[in-house]
Amino acid sequence: MAAIKIRALPARLVRLVEDLRRKEDRLALLLSLVIGALVGLVVVAFILLTGRLTALMYPPGGSGWRRIVVPTVGSLVTGYLLFKYFPLARGSGIPQTRAALFIHDGRISLRSVVGKFVCCSISLATGIPLGREGPAVYMGSGLASVIARRLGLSRAQIRSLIPVGGAAALAAAFNTPIAAVLFSLEEIVGDLHAPVLGSIVLASAASWMVLHLVLGDNPLFHVPGYHLVSLKELGVYVVLGIVGGLSSVAFVKMLLWMRAKFAKMPRASLWIQPVAGGLTVGILGYFVPQVLGVGYDQVERVLNGDVILKVAITLAVLKIVATSVAYASGNAGGIFGPSLFIGSMVGATVGSVAHLLFPASTAGPGAYALVGMGTAFAGIIRTPLTSVIMIFEVTRDYTIIVPLMISNLIAFYISQKLQKEPIYEALARQDGLHLPRSSSRTHGAVPLVSSAAREVPQSLTPEMKISDAAERVKDSALESWPVADELGLIGMVRTRHIAHALDQGKLEMTIERLMQIARRSESDKSVDMPHVHNDQPLSRALARMRESGHKVLPVVSRANVRIMLGIVTFADILKEFGVESADELDYRDHPDL
Amino acid sequence: MKTPLVQPAAPTPTATVSEFIATFAVILAAIVGLLLFDTALARVDVAERKAYAGREFATGQQLIAQGKVEAAIEHLRTASTLDGDNSAYGVALAQAILADGRPTEADQMLSPLLERNETDGATNLAMARVLAKEGKLDKAKSYYHRAIYGLWPRGADKSRTAARFELIDLLARANAKQELLSELLPIQDDTTNDLAQRKRIAHLFVVAGSPARAVVIFREILHRDSKDADAFVGLAEAALSLGDFATARTDLLAAQKVMPEDSSSLKGRIALTDSVISLDPTQSGLTLPEQVRRSRNLVQTTLASVRKCLGVQAPQVAVALDSATLLLVSGAAAGQAQSVEQNLSLAEQLWGLRRSRCAPDGQDGALALIHGRIAQ
Repeated sequence: MAAIKIRALPARLVRLVEDLRRKEDRLALLLSLVIGALVGLVVVAFILLTGRLTALMYPPGGSGWRRIVVPTVGSLVTGYLLFKYFPLARGSGIPQTRAALFIHDGRISLRSVVGKFVCCSISLATGIPLGREGPAVYMGSGLASVIARRLGLSRAQIRSLIPVGGAAALAAAFNTPIAAVLFSLEEIVGDLHAPVLGSIVLASAASWMVLHLVLGDNPLFHVPGYHLVSLKELGVYVVLGIVGGLSSVAFVKMLLWMRAKFAKMPRASLWIQPVAGGLTVGILGYFVPQVLGVGYDQVERVLNGDVILKVAITLAVLKIVATSVAYASGNAGGIFGPSLFIGSMVGATVGSVAHLLFPASTAGPGAYALVGMGTAFAGIIRTPLTSVIMIFEVTRDYTIIVPLMISNLIAFYISQKLQKEPIYEALARQDGLHLPRSSSRTHGAVPLVSSAAREVPQSLTPEMKISDAAERVKDSALESWPVADELGLIGMVRTRHIAHALDQGKLEMTIERLMQIARRSESDKSVDMPHVHNDQPLSRALARMRESGHKVLPVVSRANVRIMLGIVTFADILKEFGVESADELDYRDHPDL
Repeated sequence: MKTPLVQPAAPTPTATVSEFIATFAVILAAIVGLLLFDTALARVDVAERKAYAGREFATGQQLIAQGKVEAAIEHLRTASTLDGDNSAYGVALAQAILADGRPTEADQMLSPLLERNETDGATNLAMARVLAKEGKLDKAKSYYHRAIYGLWPRGADKSRTAARFELIDLLARANAKQELLSELLPIQDDTTNDLAQRKRIAHLFVVAGSPARAVVIFREILHRDSKDADAFVGLAEAALSLGDFATARTDLLAAQKVMPEDSSSLKGRIALTDSVISLDPTQSGLTLPEQVRRSRNLVQTTLASVRKCLGVQAPQVAVALDSATLLLVSGAAAGQAQSVEQNLSLAEQLWGLRRSRCAPDGQDGALALIHGRIAQ
């Protein structure tokens, strides 16, 4: 782009552009509309191309062997592409989007966006049972990031456009503009009061309009008008909330467990791992074709009451297994769509049983499938507000909203109790990314760790002898010292432990050994390598100090917790809050540090 | 010395004005290009989906014609899913589901279609059928009216008439004579050229309790074709309904004359008419003793019918029997004219009792006709 030269620009145009660049509000408004339209069109192209490719892969009346071969070959192709060219396009895209927002200053490369588009298209078209929404969010955010960087915007502006692109993508991918706004705020930003709300709404609306312009006014699912048959039915919806919550937890735990197993395999096998998912899906799909693909056509049938109890149970279980294996093995695609599929089948199961037992006082299984979708979404994705609005928008049916809220909240509560970490955070953590939780997010002018942190002192090494370590720390007032090997931080060691070992005459003991002894000691709370990130509030650092007993904490990168960016001490924090402590502060300017 | 920590990142390049404009130009070009690409792709996609849906719909209709409703539902559902805009697919699917004995599900399918287009004649007619099946007659009638006055993209007149006749049949089955008559009156003169339709309307006028209108239509038909046996039979029906048994017999004989090959069913009707004429105590020209005899005979025949349907031990029968016996005994002492009146009154009461307690019996056809005339 830099190579492009435009000569003799009219002075008026130059003034207009300069004016626009100066006024950030106007630029944000314009960019929201432009990004919304562009992302909407890209996502529509993604949907249409994937659909056409699917029709090619699975022509009507095609033989059964295709259902084994196509997903296997598809996963082999995407596995190679992901390994060789697009390593960041693996998986859903939501954790990667959040990582871009919170760790990489909003940077997502165009290559990753293209990779996501290509790999997900192949993956979804060949029948891998993953969703298109997560990847679409990544593509949308990525495009926003690319555009912002090309326009030479500031880091803050680039970051602010990430959720804008994400919302635009989701509005087009799911035809739910309001839920897209909420999802972007609730899940990506993690703050419903984010100042980018206006831009997000604009982009979502622009994207949705583009979708309607091209594909017409069709909801994702055509659903009959369901309503509460009797008040007794609320009891059944409570049961659905419980079952939905437990199913969500089972799905999340299975997916994370499998992913951890795949992660332990040799790195050289990374390109072939997706084939394990593709083959498993193929074998399951050979016997039960409905398992293949995202399965929205099957969801529509169930929502319309076309359901057999045995089939619903089978599909719920098989989809949990197929999606878990497909995702864990590293195929490209999200868990947004599969969540809705699983939820609808769980709902249909509960609804069928309830209707069998109480035909007069319950609605048909379709109504429960509808509520089940929201329930699973609330349980798996953990965005309760988005799930309610999304079901309303997907179906355009308001009458079922109260049972939906009840079931969703129960599922959300159960999921929170039994699976502490939300799925996207857990996935990011498995990748070594420490993304901030919404609870740890700050509002307003709260002092951050970065404001009180200082440079990293020279670390101790694990093989260092006690005598050498004592020599290193003797002139320092630091109460704990970081210990690092060639790959980075491995933990903290207390100065008093070194001194104690010295007193005991254990001069040849290594720091590593000393840390092992300290770990075994029940009184030592530093086993889990306490740390903070520089975008966290100082109050969080104080809480970590209280939990660990260390008055010195390493400040580490969110992208890799072994990369130390600095340290923060108790005294520094007090100073930052304006509380001077003479006995603690004197080492602050110590020449050794 | 404390050093503020800022995450290391590549410095953000500040684009020049030219680069800024060029970027926007590329974005706008991409938007236009993608819009054209997407629109073309969407058109192809929609065309293929519609074609596929059309094939599925045709297969579904064929299966329906073969009576394979369950298999048809699969294809119709696919058609409806692929082309949700085409309400004909949704309506066909709902009707197939109704034929499969699932009216509630069919109702749920049609409701959103009606929300989208509440004036669509076919959808309203389908909903009317669903409601009729569910026994919700009042609502069904309302939807039939919406179908009759709704929009039909093709063959509106024919479709509206068919919808009205469905409603008329429903009303006839429900014996809602007043409503039936009010549905018949608007189409009394609508189908002048359709002879079969005219005969049907005339017959329905008889059912609706307006035989005089039926007579006018049948005479008009005979005016055009004096050898139309059906019209003669229709006239006979109307005459029977009016209590004019002799005319009915004349019309039936005329029908037999123009259609001798179909005399078996006519013979039965003529025999019935003869039986009515021989039993009817109100027939003009009878002597008083004959009137008394026939009226007594009517009481006895009616009593036998009541006894047959309610059983001998039924308390109502016992009371009626006592009253009848008493009346028949006292009838000898009373004046003959008074006796005829009393017999007819008693027979009418007994017939009323029978009608309120028992279902119509084909064997009592003559009795029904005579009592119909007495009631007039």
